[in-house]
Amino acid sequence: MHAATKQHDFEPKIVAFVCTWCTYAGADLAGTSRMQYPPNVRVLKFPCTGRIDPVFILRAFQKGADGVLVSGCHPGDCHYMAGNFHARRRFAAFRALLDFVGVDLNRLQFSWVSAAEGGKWVDVVTELTERVRTMGPMPEFKELEHEEQWSGAINTPELKEAYDSIG
Amino acid sequence: MNAKANKNQVTCIEPDYYQAITEAIRKEAVKILKDETVVGVVGYLPGRRKGTASPALVTTVEEAEKLIFSPACVNNLSVYLTKAKKGVLKQGKVGIVAKGCDMRALAGLMTESQLQREDLFIIGVVCPGVYGFGVERTGTLTEANIARKCRECTVHMPEGADVAAGTHAELADLTPEEAQEMARIEAMPQAERWAFWKEHFSRCIRCMACRQVCPFCYCEQCLCDKNRPQAVESSPRPAGNMAWHLVRAMHLAGRCGGCAECERVCPMDIPLNLLNRRMAQELKELYDFEAGLTPVDKGPLNQYKEDDDQSFIK
Repeated sequence: MHAATKQHDFEPKIVAFVCTWCTYAGADLAGTSRMQYPPNVRVLKFPCTGRIDPVFILRAFQKGADGVLVSGCHPGDCHYMAGNFHARRRFAAFRALLDFVGVDLNRLQFSWVSAAEGGKWVDVVTELTERVRTMGPMPEFKELEHEEQWSGAINTPELKEAYDSIG
Repeated sequence: MNAKANKNQVTCIEPDYYQAITEAIRKEAVKILKDETVVGVVGYLPGRRKGTASPALVTTVEEAEKLIFSPACVNNLSVYLTKAKKGVLKQGKVGIVAKGCDMRALAGLMTESQLQREDLFIIGVVCPGVYGFGVERTGTLTEANIARKCRECTVHMPEGADVAAGTHAELADLTPEEAQEMARIEAMPQAERWAFWKEHFSRCIRCMACRQVCPFCYCEQCLCDKNRPQAVESSPRPAGNMAWHLVRAMHLAGRCGGCAECERVCPMDIPLNLLNRRMAQELKELYDFEAGLTPVDKGPLNQYKEDDDQSFIK
């Protein structure tokens, strides 16, 4: 009945923060139209892209996401008039910050998907999933999560001597 | 402007110069306290040890005669108007001694309606620079002991202050250490940049001094202190530290006046101002915004244009 699905070595976890008015409806349309897209994406619904705080993205990465998608209404279509315009500026700044601390921006995708663009939703999700799949798991934030304290080596002779004298 | 600046460049700044500013501040503070223009003046008093100064709120003429300005006056006093001495503003107009970088913070706070210009009497200081961290605090200010932020200062003249104390002078031939450090980090490959910041952030002990000292961190309840839901882990572990510093940089984006107080108070010497500087640079490039000496209508992240850059959005 179904075409045999291809097995992959690595299935990325993608977290999608979407706005309820456009992208969520767009994803719904893709579903009701029976379009196929990777099941790797976990959709989280928000009232507006303006509600999506950069800290959500950080937390997603820390809790094990390999890629993050943020998607909402096209400029001018916001249900709350200007939410996505503000979000656009905020995310432009946030991207620069992440880049500065050394996060690969290919894992973070922003898009505008309207309620009528089921096809675009499928394209965006498929492209991001495949891109993250080729990049492999994201180790940086997960490593941080598992570290208990500063990993700094004991690098002065005095400290080394004191340390040795303990045991 | 450069032509003007070059004229007054000197190799070291003698204590006499600061003494002149001190006299001017005292005179002005006494005057405005006497004629009851203000209920108090936020300024600097001599510290207990030689070569130090401590911030103080003076309310009497006798105290005002003890006010000083010296290279040890590193603090940004605007923080007292949003936090510790917030109540004073309710009693009437307050005088404040402000260097150029402090004026930028005051302007930012006025932009955000935290302060009203008519509630303040700003005694601007034509500041040639202050001591850096952990240096010999001898009489003269030289290239060797000036703070890192002062090396690239663009606000020696406190324009827009009610009265300015001092005459223009600045040190010649200062190397822009911070700009060099920025360039070095930006030239690193991505993985190295991550390693650099991870090492710095992991040392953080979450003492929150950077938050306490920041004039813009005036929220009554900080997002980072909240649990249920917890946005940022509060224990000093690498994961929470990274999140805290990123959230902090993000919340200061488009607001930070660049006084570098966060970096000065950091007990672990994390170069926090680099993050602020990176954000300021980005907002300058994208939205042509620069923190200035005069309040604006709205900060860059509180407004938008329909044709903002969206090349990164699919």
